[in-house]
Amino acid sequence: MTGFWRILLVAGTACGLVASAGHGFAKPLDVVFVSPGKTGEVFWDMVAQSMQAAGRKLDMRVEVLTSERNYRTMQELGFGVVARADKPDFLILSNEESAAVPILEAAEAAGVKTLLLSNTLIGEDAKRLGPPRQKLKTWLGDITTDLQTAGARMASALITAARAEKWQSPDGKIHLLGIGGDEITPASIARNAGLKLAVDAAPDVVVDRLLFANWTQSEAEQVTANYLGWASRKQIRPAGIWAGNDPMALGALRAVVAAGLVPGRDIQLVGLNWSEEALREIRAGRLLLTDGGHFLLGGWSIVLLRDYADGCDFAAVSPRVEVKTSAITRQNLGSVGDLVKTRAFDRIDFTKFRAKPGRCGHYDFSLDALISALPLPEGAAD
Amino acid sequence: MSDPASNEPAAPRLRPVVRAMIWATVPVLLLVQLLASAGVEASSFWSQVKQLDARMARVAESRAELIAEPLWKMRYDQVTGVLNEIMHDETIAAAAVYDDTGAVIARVVARSESPSIAEVSRPIHYSNGNISVQAGRIAIAYSHAALYADAGSRLVLLLVVGLLATFATLIAMRISANIFIGRPLAVMMSAIQRSKQDGRAYPADVTSSNEFGQLARAFNAMQHTTSGALDRLGHMAAHDPLTGLPNRRSLTERLAVASRDGGRSDALVAFCFIDLDDFKGINDTFGHEAGDQFLIQISQRLRRAVEAEDWVARLGGDEFVVIRPEVSNEEAAHAFAQQVLEAISEPIRLHDKQVVPRASIGLAVRRADDPELSHLPTLADIALYHAKSKAPGTVAVLDEALQREYRRRRDLELAIPAGFADGQFEVWYQSQVDLESQEVVGLEALIRWRHPDHGVIGPAEFLPLIERSGNNARLTRYVLTNACWALQRLAAAGSPQIRIAINLPPSELADHSLAAELGATCARFDVPASLLELEITEGSLINNIASASETLHRLRRLGATIALDDFGTGYSSLAHLRRFPLDKVKIDKAFISEIPHSAEDKAIVGVIASLAGTLGLTLVAEGIERAEQAEAMREMGVMFGQGYFYQRPQPLDAVLQWLESRPVAGRRVLTDSPSIAPEFA
Repeated sequence: MTGFWRILLVAGTACGLVASAGHGFAKPLDVVFVSPGKTGEVFWDMVAQSMQAAGRKLDMRVEVLTSERNYRTMQELGFGVVARADKPDFLILSNEESAAVPILEAAEAAGVKTLLLSNTLIGEDAKRLGPPRQKLKTWLGDITTDLQTAGARMASALITAARAEKWQSPDGKIHLLGIGGDEITPASIARNAGLKLAVDAAPDVVVDRLLFANWTQSEAEQVTANYLGWASRKQIRPAGIWAGNDPMALGALRAVVAAGLVPGRDIQLVGLNWSEEALREIRAGRLLLTDGGHFLLGGWSIVLLRDYADGCDFAAVSPRVEVKTSAITRQNLGSVGDLVKTRAFDRIDFTKFRAKPGRCGHYDFSLDALISALPLPEGAAD
Repeated sequence: MSDPASNEPAAPRLRPVVRAMIWATVPVLLLVQLLASAGVEASSFWSQVKQLDARMARVAESRAELIAEPLWKMRYDQVTGVLNEIMHDETIAAAAVYDDTGAVIARVVARSESPSIAEVSRPIHYSNGNISVQAGRIAIAYSHAALYADAGSRLVLLLVVGLLATFATLIAMRISANIFIGRPLAVMMSAIQRSKQDGRAYPADVTSSNEFGQLARAFNAMQHTTSGALDRLGHMAAHDPLTGLPNRRSLTERLAVASRDGGRSDALVAFCFIDLDDFKGINDTFGHEAGDQFLIQISQRLRRAVEAEDWVARLGGDEFVVIRPEVSNEEAAHAFAQQVLEAISEPIRLHDKQVVPRASIGLAVRRADDPELSHLPTLADIALYHAKSKAPGTVAVLDEALQREYRRRRDLELAIPAGFADGQFEVWYQSQVDLESQEVVGLEALIRWRHPDHGVIGPAEFLPLIERSGNNARLTRYVLTNACWALQRLAAAGSPQIRIAINLPPSELADHSLAAELGATCARFDVPASLLELEITEGSLINNIASASETLHRLRRLGATIALDDFGTGYSSLAHLRRFPLDKVKIDKAFISEIPHSAEDKAIVGVIASLAGTLGLTLVAEGIERAEQAEAMREMGVMFGQGYFYQRPQPLDAVLQWLESRPVAGRRVLTDSPSIAPEFA
């Protein structure tokens, strides 16, 4: 494992040097990312890969340390980085299970600048330590995803489709099923809140149930099957299934098929995560969309730190940067589908995302911007 | 009939009180126990049923709460899991969860299918911050079978325990009843049985302090009283209440004791039969109270006069007995009797008057081992009889002569009925002669007993026996009839003027039918009653003056004359001569025998003659044996004479012959006659 990362490191450094030399950055920077995830865990792997790809473009050496989903390991790794004699310029942490707080405080003591990615301070920690750069001067800020908007966007897509197809039930309402990952994590709560937001705004729509499937495909399939049975007994025509992530959407899809329904024609389903399987189903017309793209937070965090290091502080707008996700549908599937499938993040020109001079803190991380930052593939221009 | 118990009135069959108590209480106890057990068990059962129902409702509600979320969130596997957990409860037969459409979401059934009779159903409510809905319903079917089985087994247990308790109670009742009731009753019953057998009052040995102890104490107190009463009764039965001396009853026992406990076999038992002389006179003179005092003093003297080993008893009236169990010889016994007699004879003060008691003692002495010891009272009585009749105020010792006399007397007494039946009694006649004319003017009928073994017996010996055997009247009628017949014969023989005198015993004077019978008998023989003369004694007048006077008047009205016999020997009351209707007075021969030599007797006879002359009474002199006596009498004015000088008493035929052979008046004829004792009658 270590060997593999060393190779990456060496490769990254070499690229950075090349890039730095090419674009004229103030100076090369050292960044360490302590990943909470496991080796092989798609999302966090993609976060790290996008981070490293961005580093190569922006002359930043990104060192990735993996906690293997153990917060003790994560803290040990963080403390180790902070205690180094040759301290990195930036330390990127994710406050999963609030395990990053002691590392933040240690970094403050050591004078190492930190950025929280995806999961910021919550609850007591947030109250105690306040906003970035106040109590903890070296905590520069955080970069997170707006998952509530993602949830709402997914719901809206379902409602629009159902209205278009006139999938109202005998009671005249459009009946949806919601499948959440869990009821406690901020990531899940935000998505579910988005669903509620969208449905509350649509008086002709009712969410029969918000079921929870622990983010897993099999449980989602089970609860979906239960729902479909119940709905048929209640003479409800299910119009759409909202799933908090792609695996659950895929589980629901299997249940729908098992129930004798044709996805895309009798009922629509939406997911989130831009997963390969989801993209496949979108292509097959069985999944309406998959929202997401937030693994790119890794690349975007490098962009922010490069600008900060070069004197264009993102805090000019806010130390807290919230990145919108984007939905992949059959319409835009062609441009990003391959990117996701191949994880060829080096194709992205991250320099295009830096803040324009005089507009520090203003960024456009949208899918359109992303697509425009990609080289045109052959035959996909139309 | 041979069973003495069967003579008692048939007692009702014994029904023990303990058994009756057990029969009365144990079934009630058992019933109450069973009912109480059943009641308690039933109430417990219903309470358990209610508890089970309530528990099932709680189970349903708690499950509903647990199931609400998985049901609402359609985690049907979790619903089944939660539902499965309650199947550990064995009373639950099945459970099911329905969703809001009524579809079965989960159903679990107990492995061992038991008939479920109860079901509880509860709605499943789901609520979160936004909604509150009924997500479905839970239904639990459960069985009361376990409760029924439990109740059944407990009921059986209670039944067994109840039966055991009842049995134990029964045993305890039996034991305690036996101890507290049966035993005291048995002890008292036993005391009563023993008392019945012995005639003594036995106490019951009951020591408990309960009611039976009290009953036993009361019983014992009663027994004590009864015992005292029995003792007193026994003492009274064996003792004379007046003097406190043993009575006649005790005498037999005492003799038996003397016979059994007699010391040496050659020892003699002295038996003194004491009879107070003239005790009647003391009663008459001083009253019965004084008579009692007199007897008490005599008894005290007797007690003092004897030794400790001697025995004194009062047999009744004025009869006492003193027994000395050991005397060396007959002389000593006699001395002892004499000593007793002297002790009695000390003067006693009664009503400030000195009275000298007199007594006669009959003494009999026998060896202690004499088989006839029990006859001692009879033997002593013989001696006493002798003493009383022959020498009052003395000690008469029973000897062979006395015994012979006694035996003769007894033989004669027993032979009286045969004497009447066989005509052994004969009437002899002795003539009464006019002392002046020497004419036979009358005959006195005198009774004789011609006994086949003892020969002719004079009246002095057998008349007391006749009187004692109650044959006075019969004998009198016999003599009367004979006399009437004799008058008939005399008339036929040419002497119709000769009268016949009959002796009347005292008892006949009280017989009012005598006069009528006399008249009837005279009529039968066709002889005038005026030819009959009835001789009475002063003694017979004394005892029943009024009745005697009445009888005498009746007889006189018939024409019979009345003669007072034996005058001068008894009371010689002049008043009697005046009061009673007398015609004659017969001067006792005691005054005749010494005449003419005794001047005193001559004076007495002279006074009597002068008195009779004054009162108009005819005088008859008895026992004239010599001519000078007849002469002296005639000179003193006595009209008639009677005696051997003229004629000894003879049977009628001899008298008739004698009268016929007496041609000349005044000729003295002495005829042969049986030599018998001088006249008393």
